[in-house]
Amino acid sequence: MERLSIGHGAGGSLTQELISLITGRFDGSPLADGEDCAILPGGYAMTIDGYTVSPLSFDGGDIGKLSVCGSTNDLSVRGVKPLYMALGVIAEEGFPIGELMEYMESAAAVCRSLGVQLVTGDTKVVPRGQADGLFLSTCCIGRVNRKDQLGALNMRPGDTIIITCPPGLHGATIAARRYGLKVRGLSSDCAALWPLLENILPVNGLRCMRDCTRGGLATVLCEWSERAGLGIEIDETLVPWNEAALSVCDILGFEPLHMAGEGCAAVAVAEEEAQETVGLLRKHFLGKSASVIGRVTEEHPGLVGIRTRSGGTRLVDKPVGELLPRIC
Amino acid sequence: MGELTDRPIKVMEVCGTHTVSIFRQGLRALFPPNVALVSGPGCPVCVTSQGEIDAALSLAGRANTTVATYGAMLRVPGTEPTLAEERSRGADVRVVTSADQALSLAMDDRTRTVVFLAVGFETTAPATASVVLDACREDLDNFMILNLHKSVPPALETLASDPEVKLEAFLLPGHVSVITGLEPYRFLPERYGIACAVAGFEAEEIMAALVEVARQIREKRPRVASLYSRAVRPQGNATARSVMGKVFALDDATWRGLGIITSSGYSLREEFTRFDALERLGLTIKEAPPPAGCMCGEVLKGLIDPPACALFGRSCTPAHPIGPCMVSTEGSCAAYYRFRQRGNVNWRD
Repeated sequence: MERLSIGHGAGGSLTQELISLITGRFDGSPLADGEDCAILPGGYAMTIDGYTVSPLSFDGGDIGKLSVCGSTNDLSVRGVKPLYMALGVIAEEGFPIGELMEYMESAAAVCRSLGVQLVTGDTKVVPRGQADGLFLSTCCIGRVNRKDQLGALNMRPGDTIIITCPPGLHGATIAARRYGLKVRGLSSDCAALWPLLENILPVNGLRCMRDCTRGGLATVLCEWSERAGLGIEIDETLVPWNEAALSVCDILGFEPLHMAGEGCAAVAVAEEEAQETVGLLRKHFLGKSASVIGRVTEEHPGLVGIRTRSGGTRLVDKPVGELLPRIC
Repeated sequence: MGELTDRPIKVMEVCGTHTVSIFRQGLRALFPPNVALVSGPGCPVCVTSQGEIDAALSLAGRANTTVATYGAMLRVPGTEPTLAEERSRGADVRVVTSADQALSLAMDDRTRTVVFLAVGFETTAPATASVVLDACREDLDNFMILNLHKSVPPALETLASDPEVKLEAFLLPGHVSVITGLEPYRFLPERYGIACAVAGFEAEEIMAALVEVARQIREKRPRVASLYSRAVRPQGNATARSVMGKVFALDDATWRGLGIITSSGYSLREEFTRFDALERLGLTIKEAPPPAGCMCGEVLKGLIDPPACALFGRSCTPAHPIGPCMVSTEGSCAAYYRFRQRGNVNWRD
């Protein structure tokens, strides 16, 4: 019998296959539309996510901060103000209570900054060896703050693609720690995106937004193009790259577009409102390097192309399985 | 560049990192039609033979044993399942990015046997040699290597002398040449009339190297040029070669697709056999045929482009690879699949 691999949880095509297998066992709901959170009747929205990061603490954040940012961001990108949160804690026997409280304080600080209330939760302690220190799950509920639902199906040819910050910072930071690379100035972008994205919700031509987590910007754009049946073209020279993240990718042989961000969103907006949107994003410190990076096309439907620095072109794809460093 | 060649030429990029770099930077879209670039045997995982992979997999099931491997080996299927699958069944398989990290695993827990899957060319062999010396100095009893290191120049000679392959130029590997220098490639222009240029991995460096070999072919003056002087010294890295010389001796080795090549493998010298997993654990490498229909061998020789393999993109994909060229991030099948599988993107200017 085939078994799960780490790649099934890496956010790329294997993850999609697994999700299809799981959801196929359920009756299905029209509310499960494949976006980052589900919009519920009555103007509420809901999402859940699990956090298993190793190391638990990293430059720019820790598992506590990540767990609140991740779930609230899944609401924020659909124009939903996060309001209430449930927290699940699975900790390993022997885990230091003081360290656990540090992560809880870190999570609580993000909740405070967003006005999110922790309303319920669950704690489990499992025998040593049955968990990698600490796992957290967060379920968030919020209120829809926009009349039109945001989603990939809104995209139209000619729309503009914007990114709010350099892609791949979180993934590169974790990879550097995991593979023993010391890179000065490299820090995760882990952040709650609501205060940034709230500013652009009044833009009429806003089509969809997505935080570029596992699978990175590449996966977001590929999923958008497949769902919408449209092409997407981006220009490598327009992407606000972070040199430290690029150097980690270069050394390990990773595709920078596959690296996760945890405070980075892709935005699709009508062309005529693109500059206004970039301007609004740049007013907030989380969006100061927001940039137009490409556009939606009728050509090559379902595919994402990138024009490279050298003037060549190639396809952008989703990662397959676990990102593994190259040999030489 | 197109004007430099008055006829179609076939250039092989030897190095897997070049293969990926060319695709990632979209350079193929810029090549003139009379320059055919084929991928060569420069991916360490791709050239590892079926028998060697099976030997590596047999380690994963052993009691009290940790297998330390470069990441790319994790998903290569042997006759048995992959190391990743063995890991999901409970085998202790750790991904390392250096031989040094594998040695640290052994030093940190002396109750477990740590076997390092030592694959790669002149790029990684010096680091393996160095940790073998360290292990010897520490008198470490729980560290071994499954030594699968190979040498690039003999494989190039096999290709150069193969009348079926018909190469006119090599884009020589950057990282390997940092160690070897330029001398080991001189036989290529002198004996086989093949144009050669060592290149770095930036777009301009690769394009400059292609211009260089096109010029050599047009002027009928093949030689070994280096377009990567910021990293490659003509004499290479003598210190690294000295460490390799202390630990390894050249021996015959089996390459996937190329068969047995004389003096193309780095075997452990006799005084280090206690670090040889084959000797210590009584393993043998039993060569097995490649999976049915798999044409990785033809791909590695540059005889076909990956899509010409009947399995490509059908039963063999990066998610479910059959041959190693589809597994490794540096494999040419994986690169073709990732960047070209559904055709190129046509941009409007």
